[in-house]
Amino acid sequence: MSKFWKNITCLAVVMFATMLVLGCGGNTSKNASVDGNKSEKVTLTLWHYYEGALQQKSLTDLAQKFNTSQDKIAIKMEFAPRNELIKQLTIGLVADKLPDIVLLDNPDTPSFAAMGILADITDKVNAPEMKKEAYYPGPLKSNLYNDKYYGIPVGSNDIGLYYNEDMFKAAGITAPPQTWDELQVVAKKLSKDGVYGLAMCALKNEEGTFQFLPWLISAGGSYDKLDSAESVKAFTFLTNLVKDGSLSKESINWTQADVEKQFATGKAAMMINGPWNIEHVRGDAPNMKFAVVKIPKDKVWASCLGGENFSIIKGHHEAEAWAFLKFAMSEDNLADIVNVMGYIPSRKDLAESNPKLKNDPIMSVFVDEMQYAMPRGPNAKWPEYSEAMYTALQESLTNQKTPEQAARDAQVKVENISKGN
Amino acid sequence: MKTLVLRTKEKNYMLSFIAIVIGVIFLFPLYWIVVSSLKTNVEIFASIPTLIPHNITFSAYTDQLTGPNNILNSFGNSLLIATLSMVLSIILAVPAAYGLARFPMRTTKIFIMIFLVTQMLPVTLILTPMFLIYKNLGILDTYLAPALSDATISIPFVILILRTYFLSLPKELEDSAKIDGCSTFMAFIKIMLPISYPGLVMAAAFSFLFAWGDLAYALTFISTPESRPMTAGIYNFMGKYGTEWNKIMAYGTLLVLPVVAIFVVLQKYIVAGLTNGAVKE
Amino acid sequence: MKINYSREYLRSEKKGFAFVVPALLFMLAFVGYPIIYNFILSVYNVDIMTLGQQHKEFVGLKNYIDVFNNPLMLISIWNTFLFTIGSISIQFVIGFALALFFNLEFTLAKPMRGLLVVSWMIPMTVIALLSKFMLSPSGGIINQLLLNLQIIDQPIGWLINNSTALWSVILANSWVGIPFNMILLTTGLSNISKSLYEAAEVDGATSLQKFFYITLPQLRPAILSVVILGFIYTFKVFDLVFVATGGGPVNATELMSTLAYKLSFAQFAFSKGATVANVLFIILFVVSLGYLKLIRKDEVIN
Repeated sequence: MSKFWKNITCLAVVMFATMLVLGCGGNTSKNASVDGNKSEKVTLTLWHYYEGALQQKSLTDLAQKFNTSQDKIAIKMEFAPRNELIKQLTIGLVADKLPDIVLLDNPDTPSFAAMGILADITDKVNAPEMKKEAYYPGPLKSNLYNDKYYGIPVGSNDIGLYYNEDMFKAAGITAPPQTWDELQVVAKKLSKDGVYGLAMCALKNEEGTFQFLPWLISAGGSYDKLDSAESVKAFTFLTNLVKDGSLSKESINWTQADVEKQFATGKAAMMINGPWNIEHVRGDAPNMKFAVVKIPKDKVWASCLGGENFSIIKGHHEAEAWAFLKFAMSEDNLADIVNVMGYIPSRKDLAESNPKLKNDPIMSVFVDEMQYAMPRGPNAKWPEYSEAMYTALQESLTNQKTPEQAARDAQVKVENISKGN
Repeated sequence: MKTLVLRTKEKNYMLSFIAIVIGVIFLFPLYWIVVSSLKTNVEIFASIPTLIPHNITFSAYTDQLTGPNNILNSFGNSLLIATLSMVLSIILAVPAAYGLARFPMRTTKIFIMIFLVTQMLPVTLILTPMFLIYKNLGILDTYLAPALSDATISIPFVILILRTYFLSLPKELEDSAKIDGCSTFMAFIKIMLPISYPGLVMAAAFSFLFAWGDLAYALTFISTPESRPMTAGIYNFMGKYGTEWNKIMAYGTLLVLPVVAIFVVLQKYIVAGLTNGAVKE
Repeated sequence: MKINYSREYLRSEKKGFAFVVPALLFMLAFVGYPIIYNFILSVYNVDIMTLGQQHKEFVGLKNYIDVFNNPLMLISIWNTFLFTIGSISIQFVIGFALALFFNLEFTLAKPMRGLLVVSWMIPMTVIALLSKFMLSPSGGIINQLLLNLQIIDQPIGWLINNSTALWSVILANSWVGIPFNMILLTTGLSNISKSLYEAAEVDGATSLQKFFYITLPQLRPAILSVVILGFIYTFKVFDLVFVATGGGPVNATELMSTLAYKLSFAQFAFSKGATVANVLFIILFVVSLGYLKLIRKDEVIN
C-alpha cells in the first residue's frame, strides 16, 4: 500500500479512536461535588416544569427564603418544559449530569424510581413530623415503588365536570347531571347550533388517559383488565356521546387547555377539566356563570389524580436536599406554593381547613372529589398501560374499531406488559 | 439566464398580477399569524373567524418584551449561536464542496456517501450521545455546543448544494490563474470565491437559518434559561397547564421579524445576488 | 485490472483530499459516535429497568424482531414514505414552477421571490401549532374560507380524520419546503449560460424543447442534490407532525421519527427507540446508494 494511503488510514484510525474516547471515556469520571466537603456551602439544583411566570416566581421566592434562612445550603431553580425535563433526566442518567431535586408528574415517579435515579426516602417520609397519615392516600401512594417511598407530594388536583349555568337555564335544565344516563340526555339536549354538549381531552398521550381514567373506574373497570365488560362500557359510553353529536370528534386533538377554550368561548356547554383552569375561564369569559360538580358516575364516583411530586436524586446531597424539602413542606411555605400553582393541598387536613378552598363553591367540589381521585398505577410501566388506553380510546372515538375490538386489542398489549416483554 | 423578453407593458402587468396572487395565497398563513397575535384570546376562537380583528390589542407583545424571559435577551443568544454555526459551516463546507467538484478522486462517491450518512439519524436520537461528547469536552451550557450540532446539519447540506454549483462554473478561470503562477489554494481564494459569491451567500444564509430555527439542540445542551435562544421561548406559552395562542402567534411573529428585517435590508445582496448568474457574458 | 493512475492524477487527488478532509473529520467526530452509539443501543436491552444498571444484556437482533412484530412499525414506515414522497413531489414541482416563473423578467419578480422565502424562517413548532389552529373544523379559517367559496358545505376535520390527516401535514410541510426548493433551483437556473439558449433559438427550438433539452439536463446535478437532500430531511421530520397531531388520529400520521421518540422518551424503551431509528437509517442509506448511482462520473471529473 502506498505511503499516502497508509497515512490516510492512520489518520482515520486515530480520529476514530479519539471519537470513541470522547464519547465513552468520560462515563467513569466521578462527580467531585457528590457529598464532598461538608464544611463548604452546598449548592443544590432543582429542576421543574412550571412555565407560568407567577409560578416560577413563587419557586424562586421560596428558594430565596430558604437560602437566606441558613448559610450552609444554597438552592437554585431551573426550568425545563415537561417533555424536555423527562428527556434530560434520561440523558442525564447516562451522562451523569443530574440535578439534586426534581419535580415529577405523579405517574412518572415510579418509572424513574425503577430506573434507579431517585433516592429512597422511606425513613424520611415515615418520620412523625411529616404527618404521613394526614395525606390523601392517592398522592402519597403515587410515590411508592416496591413498597418504598421515592418522593413526596407537592400538591394535587383532580378533574370535575364544569357546566355553563346560563346554557342550562336557557335549555330548561334544572339540575346538573349526576349519572351517566343523565349526562347523555343533558349533553344531547345542549348540542345544537354549533355548540357541543360536552368537551373533553382524548389526546394520544398521558393527558388523554388522565381524562379517560375516571370513566373507566366509575364503570368498575381497571387499567389491567381493559377487556372486561365494565371497561368496555367506559369506551362505549364515550363513543356513543360522539355518535350522538354531544362530544366533538376534535377532542382527539385537544389538550385540556384547548378544552378550556372551547368551554370559555361557548362552544361547549360542559367540560371535564381541573381547578387550574378556573382562573382561565374567569379571565376568558368574565360574564359566564358556571359551576362544577363531580363527574357523573356509573357505578361509583371517580376522578383522576393529578399533581406533582418532589424527588431527590440518588447520591446527590441527599441530606441537604431533604433539608430543603422539609422546609418547603412546612405549612406556611406549602400554602404559598399551593395557592400560586392552583393546587389542592395533598394533605387532607390542610385541604379541609384551608378557608379559601372551603368557602369557594367551585374549589370545594374539587376538594370533595379528592377522595375519589385515583392515582395512575402507581406502576413503573404506567406509560405502556397508558398507551394501550389512549390508543383504544382514539380508535373507538374515531370509529376505527368498535369499542369491544379496541378494548380487546388493548388488553393484548396489557398482557404483554405484565409478561415483561 | 433564461429570459423572456417582454415586449408589451401588458404582459409585465399581467405577470406582476399573477405574482401578487401567488404571494397572497402563499403568504396567507403568515398574515394569519400576525393577525392572530393582535387578537384577544377569546376572539381567536370565535366560531366565525374574523379576517380583520375587531379589537386590536398588543397585550400579547408587551408581555414578551419585558421580564426575565424577555425576547431581547434571547434574541442575542440566537444571533450568537446562529452566527457561530454559520461561520463554522462555511469554513469547513465550502472548501469541501470545491474539492469534491474540482478534483477527480477515486473516493468521491464514498465521501459524498459519508456526508449523507451523517444526516440519516433523527435528531432526537442523536441527543444523548452528543450530550456525552460535549460533556467530556466540557462545553455543555455554552453557545458552542448547539452551534457545533447545528453545523453538523448544515455542513453536509452546503457541501452537496455547493458542489453542484461549483460544477456548473467553468474551469477555465482557475486554469488561467494557475498558468499565471497561482497555487491551487490561492486560485480557490482569489478567483473561485469571488465568482461563486451568490452560491456562498446562499450557503451562509441556509446555515444561519438552520441554526436560527433550531430548538432541540439548544434546549438539550443549554440548561441556563438566560442563555437559551429565542426558539426555546415557545415553552413559556405552551405547557402542561395552558396554551396561550395569541402569545404564541406574537412570539412567532417576533421570532421571524429580525430575520425578515435582515433579509429585506440585505435583499440587494442576497436574493438579487443569487440570481445574477455567476458568469457574466 | 489495475488502473494505472498518472502522477498528475494522484497529485491532483491529494489536493482534493486536502480540501475535503477537514469537513470530513468534523462530521465523523461529532456524528460518527452517535451513529455507533445508536447501533449498540439497538442490540442491547436498555429500558426502564436496565437503564441504571452497569451491565446490560446483549440481545442481538431481538429488538429488531420485536419492533417489526409491532404492527405500528410497518404503519409508520408506510406513513413515512407517503409523507416524504408526497412532500417532495409537491415541493419540487411547485418550487421548480415558481423558480421558472420568477426567472421571467417583470417588475415584481425579485421582491416577490424574496418575500416568499419567509415561510421557511418560521420554526416548525409554530407552524405545527398554526396548522392545528387554521385547520380546526370549528373556527378554523381554512374551513371558513372553503365554506365561503362554496367549495365544501361542511367543515372538514383536516387533522382529525384518518383520510385527511396525513395529507394535511404533507401540505403544511410542503408550505415550508417550497421556497427552499425554489431558491436552490433558482441558483441553478442562473448558472445556465445564455449562449446555450441563444444557440438553440438560432436552430429554431421552441420553448418546450429548450426546457427539455437545455434547462433540465443542465440542472440535473442541482435537481439530484435537491431531491436527495429533501428526501433525507423530510424522512426525518419530527417536530411538525409531533406537535400538530402527535401521530394521530390513532395511527394515521405516525412516522418512524415520532415512533422512535415515543418509544425512547415516553415509554423509556430506549433500545426499541434506537432500533426504529436504525431502520430509518438503513432505509435512507439504501436510497442514497441509488442517488450515488445516478451521479455520473463525468459530473465529477468535469
